[in-house]
Amino acid sequence: MLLTGVVALNVAVLRLNVRYEELGRERAKLRADNAELASELASRAAAARIQGLARGSGLVPAGPDQWTYLDLRAPPQ
Amino acid sequence: MKLANRRIRLLLVSFAFAFAAMFLRAAWLQGVRAQDFDRLAQGQHEATVVDPAARGTIYDRSGVQLAIGRQATTVYANPREIDDPRAVALAVAKTLRIAPEPLVALLADRSRGFVHIARKADPKRAKLLEEQQLPGLGFVPEEQRVYPQGRVAAQVLGYAGTDNRGLAGLELALDRTLRGRAGRETVVRDPSGRAIEVLSSTAAEQGQDVYLTLDHTLQANAEAVLHATVQRWDAKAASAVVLDPRTGGILAMAVERGYDANRFPIVPRDYQRNRAVTDTYEPGSTFKVVTVSAALSERLVTPQTEFTLPYEIHVADRVIHDAHERGTERMTVDEIISQSSNVGTITLAQLLGESRLSEWMQRFGFGRKTGVDYPGETRGIVPPLARWSGSTIGTMPIGHGVAVTPVQMAAAYAAVANDGVWLRPHLVDRVGSNERVPVASRRILSRGVAQQVMAMMRDVVVEGTGTAAALPGYQVAGKTGTAAKPDPDGGYSKTRYVASFVGVVPATDPRLVVLVTVDEPASAIWGGVVAAPAFAEIARFGLQYLEIPPDAPTTMR
Repeated sequence: MLLTGVVALNVAVLRLNVRYEELGRERAKLRADNAELASELASRAAAARIQGLARGSGLVPAGPDQWTYLDLRAPPQ
Repeated sequence: MKLANRRIRLLLVSFAFAFAAMFLRAAWLQGVRAQDFDRLAQGQHEATVVDPAARGTIYDRSGVQLAIGRQATTVYANPREIDDPRAVALAVAKTLRIAPEPLVALLADRSRGFVHIARKADPKRAKLLEEQQLPGLGFVPEEQRVYPQGRVAAQVLGYAGTDNRGLAGLELALDRTLRGRAGRETVVRDPSGRAIEVLSSTAAEQGQDVYLTLDHTLQANAEAVLHATVQRWDAKAASAVVLDPRTGGILAMAVERGYDANRFPIVPRDYQRNRAVTDTYEPGSTFKVVTVSAALSERLVTPQTEFTLPYEIHVADRVIHDAHERGTERMTVDEIISQSSNVGTITLAQLLGESRLSEWMQRFGFGRKTGVDYPGETRGIVPPLARWSGSTIGTMPIGHGVAVTPVQMAAAYAAVANDGVWLRPHLVDRVGSNERVPVASRRILSRGVAQQVMAMMRDVVVEGTGTAAALPGYQVAGKTGTAAKPDPDGGYSKTRYVASFVGVVPATDPRLVVLVTVDEPASAIWGGVVAAPAFAEIARFGLQYLEIPPDAPTTMR
C-alpha cells in the first residue's frame, strides 16, 4: 500500500514537471508572439507611414484657418 | 581425491582473486573515481537552462513602441557532424537568403565543433530550415532588438547590438534599466530530453520599460520638416529641438540626416550622432537674448531705454557692424532685439561689463552640461573670464566666440518662456511603474524680466527679422540667428554659416519652444529666411496636434 502511494506520488511529480516544462515553452512562445505582434502594430501605427498613406490618398493636413476651438466655459453673468 | 581437493582449492583461490579484483574495482570506482562518474552522470541527465531576460521596451509619451524586443532564431552548426558541407551550405544559404561561399568554407572546417551560421535570423526562415532536418545544424531562439518606427528618433534611441547590449543613444544610457537579469533553472532530464525534475530555479528579472517624453508624431513631423529644409536650402545638416517649457520634457529631438535604426551596422558614424546634444555651434544673434536679459535684470535699462547707435562700433582691435548697412539711429532696447542690432547689443554688454556678462552666461547654463539624460552631452565652449581678450566683450554678447549645443539654447529660451525658471531638459519621463523623478530647476530671471524679454521677442516676429516665423491665430515670440562658422585656419568663413531660429508659442501661454538650426545652407544664409519657416512648420503642426487653442484668433487668415 505504502509502496503504491510512493510510486503514485512520484508519477504525479513527474507529470507535473513535464507539464511545467511544457508551460514554460508555451510561455516563451506566447511572449515571442506577443512581441512580434506589438512590433508589427507599432510599425503599422507609425505616424510617418500613416501620413505617407494619407498623402498618397490625396489628403492634406487641415490649415489653422480650417479648424476652430469651442469655449465650453459658461459665459460671465 | 587429492586431485579433486587441489582443483577445489584452485577454484577457491580463483574465486578469491576474482572477488578481490571485483572488490578493488568497486572500491576504485566508488571511492576514487566516484566524483568523476557522478559529474559525468549529472552531465548526462542534468542541465542548466538560462532563461534570458527580455529587454525592456522604449515607449514614446503616447505609449507607442519605439524600441522593442522580437524573437529571432540563431542558427549554428557542428562541422564535424556534416558529411557534405557544400550541400548543407547551399541549402542553408537558399533558405536563409545568405551568400553560400563563406558558408561552404565555414562548414568544411572540421577543426571546430561550433560555428555560427546566422545570428538572429528571421524565425520563419529558420523554421523552414529546421524542418529540412539537415545534419549538424542547431537552432536557438534569441531576442532581437527592433525599431518599429524605422527612422523616427533613430539618433535619440541609439541601438542595441547583437548581444542585446545598448551601444549608443538611450539604449546605452538606459542599458542597466532595460537589460534586466537572466534567470537559471537546473533540471533533470529523461533520455528523451524532457525535464522530469527541477533542482533549482532563479526567475529572470525582465528589463524595465521606459517611457519617454518624446512624441513619435511630433518627432516624425520635425524630421520631415528638417529633411525638406535641408533639401530646399542645399544644407549640410539640420537639427531641431521641441521642448515643453512647463516641464522641460523634450517632445522632439530631430537630426537630419537621419537613418533607419534597424540598419545601424551599415550606417556611417557621422549620421548616428545626435547633434542636438553632442555638437556645438556658434549661436550668433539668438544669444543676444542673454545679454539683454542680463542688462534688464541688472536694472541698467528698460525695454524703452533709447540709445544712439552708429552702424559700426570699435571694440579693442575689431570693428563690428550691424548685418545691414544703415545710418546712425536711435533705437530702444526692444528695437535692438527686434532688429537684431550687433552694435546695440554690444553697447548693452559694455554697460554690463565683462564680469557680469560672464556670470549671466553661466546663469543661463552655457559652458556646462544641461544634465539631459542622453550620453555624450558636451558642455559647449565658453571661455573663462581670465581668458577673455579685449575684443571678447564685442563678440561674445552677439553669440560669437562662444559655442553652445542646441539643447542648451532651447533650455535657455524655455526658461524665459517659463517665467524665468530653468528646468533640466529631459527625455525620460518615467521608468516602469516608478513615479516621475522631480526635474531639477532654478530661477534665472525674475518673472517681470522674463515677460519683458518675451514681449521683445514677439516684436522680432511681428516687425523684426523673424516675420517668416509668424503663425496665423497665434502670437509667436522668437529670435533669429545667423553665424559664420569658424575656419579651421583661423578667422571666420565667408561662405559657411549656421542659420537658426528659436521660438516660443503661444507667446501668451507658452506650450512649445522650438529651436531649428540649419548647418551650412547654400542658397541662403539668414536664420529668418532659412530656419524661421522650418520653425513655423514644426510649431504649426505641434499646436494643432496638441490641440493648443489660438491666443490671437483675430490674426487668423
